[in-house]
Amino acid sequence: MDSDRRGQWLRGVLDLCVLALLRDGESYGYQLAQSLDAAGVGPIQGGTLYPVLLRLQRTGLVTARWREGDSGPARKYYQLTDDGRAALRHGGNAWLAFVAPVTGIVTKGVDG
Amino acid sequence: MNADDWLRAFAAELYQRRVGGDAARHVVAEAATHLREGGGDPWLVFGSPQAYAAAIVESIGTAPGPRPGPVRLHARGITKRYGRQVVLRDASLTVRAGQIAAVVGANGCGKSTFLRICAGLVSPDAGEVTVSGRLGYCPQQGGTADFLLPDEHFVLVGAGQGVPRGPARQAGRAAARQLGWDAGNAVLARHLSGGTRQKLNLTMSTLAQPDVLLLDEPYQGFDQGSYVDLWDQLTRLRDEGRAIVVVTHLLNQLDRVDVVLDLTPAHQGGRS
Amino acid sequence: MNRLVTVAEMTLRELARRRGVLLLLLLMPLTFWLIRRDSYVGQSVRALLLGISWAVSTAALFATSAARELEPRLRLTGYRPHHLYLGRMLGLWGLGLAISVPFFLLTVVDANNLRYGGIAVAMLCCVAVAAPFGMLIGALLPRELEGTLLLLTVVAMQMLLDPADAGAKLTPFWSSREIATWAVDHTDDGYLTRGSLHGLVVTVLLIVTVAGVFAVRLRRRRHLHHVPIA
Repeated sequence: MDSDRRGQWLRGVLDLCVLALLRDGESYGYQLAQSLDAAGVGPIQGGTLYPVLLRLQRTGLVTARWREGDSGPARKYYQLTDDGRAALRHGGNAWLAFVAPVTGIVTKGVDG
Repeated sequence: MNADDWLRAFAAELYQRRVGGDAARHVVAEAATHLREGGGDPWLVFGSPQAYAAAIVESIGTAPGPRPGPVRLHARGITKRYGRQVVLRDASLTVRAGQIAAVVGANGCGKSTFLRICAGLVSPDAGEVTVSGRLGYCPQQGGTADFLLPDEHFVLVGAGQGVPRGPARQAGRAAARQLGWDAGNAVLARHLSGGTRQKLNLTMSTLAQPDVLLLDEPYQGFDQGSYVDLWDQLTRLRDEGRAIVVVTHLLNQLDRVDVVLDLTPAHQGGRS
Repeated sequence: MNRLVTVAEMTLRELARRRGVLLLLLLMPLTFWLIRRDSYVGQSVRALLLGISWAVSTAALFATSAARELEPRLRLTGYRPHHLYLGRMLGLWGLGLAISVPFFLLTVVDANNLRYGGIAVAMLCCVAVAAPFGMLIGALLPRELEGTLLLLTVVAMQMLLDPADAGAKLTPFWSSREIATWAVDHTDDGYLTRGSLHGLVVTVLLIVTVAGVFAVRLRRRRHLHHVPIA
């Protein structure tokens, strides 16, 4: 039940999280999953993450290129585009505007 | 099922869902990288190959263009007897532009005969074949000239279509490279290894840019790498909108084909 | 035109590379010449002509058999039947002329008191007849061995038959023998005329037959309908 609900929330906001993580520089799938986990969102499986990255790429919010890492195999690195930046600003604000009243209502409910 | 098996199954699922060659390669490579770095059971990380392929298709859509087009080859009611023995009974096959059809069945069930009838080299006792556009045919063996160089084969085929020598040679070498073969060496066809000779055979049949390509067990003598190259090449040709018929007794590539005609006598007829 | 020339050229290239076969083929006319050389020049000329006929028709047989599987697919890439058989014939005629020249020079150097023009015409007849003759046998008989044996029979028969015999005129290489008689024995011009006419008629007949066989073999089958792409 809990993980189901978390999954539903994530589905709505994972693209924003990814865009936000890419704001400060390029990254690749596995690293993004680790960053999300480290931030406390919980483990994100590849099966969830990569379709989101592909959709962002297709809609032009990120670009991708294959590059050899300093060590290890070639990886597909994603980078934020200007459109992606704009979408992050726009979508992020909308999310915050949505989440603030939800938090307020739920807080009251929990505390009460 | 280990990670490699999962990746192979996933790649096959992508092919079947018509995800374009490069896109599919990148997605598979990315999944492979992820598994290598993070470890874990691919079934937990990505889910089943089918489900993940479906998710990918939803994200990027299928490759543009390769949807099946108009009918290019239509064989209907093909019956062939040799003496008293009925080799083919009422066999039918329809292949559209952008499709690969496999003709399968036990040895001696008339697969090659069916293909030769489609190519117009043998007359059936009953039935008709309609071909739209240019026809290319790659015989099982003997389609090359022992005492000619690969380049001379290309010139010969090119001249049939009015292509000058230089361009014909270049086109032949380029087509050979798609099969991982450098055809520029001056080696007579009779001195080529079985697999390389078969590549020459194949190259000749694709050189004329056929709209309908008929291949009779085209992988004989191929090693694993050449085999993969062949199927990549066929997929490419399919995505360019050609109609391809492959006679085969190997069933492990059926996940890459769109139409199967099983000529085994027990259940004759086409299914797709 | 380009198709014709390309087929002719490839035929020549293929044959030129079958060096072993080519040498053995050339050996026959030469041996014939050498064996008969001491006895009677007329015999050796006739043997030489038969040797050339044998060599060219055998080469034609091999070339035709080798192309058996290749031709249908060339047909699919845009060749018409006449491109294929005429092109091959042109190549074989070229080869025949090329091997005749040294043998002609051999007669000039090695024998006296011959009508050399007649020798040349006789050789031309051999080559003209042998190319379509070998092709016909190659097209009708499925294997090279059978074809070779048949050719051998024809050549042997040609050698043994009395040319004055009425039936001898039915053999394909009678023309060269008749012309050779004119060239060696200085007989009347009737021999030359009859021989040349025979050579011409036989060549034309053989070409027409080859054309017929190839047209049937490489025909468009009735069950196959071609529709151009709109």
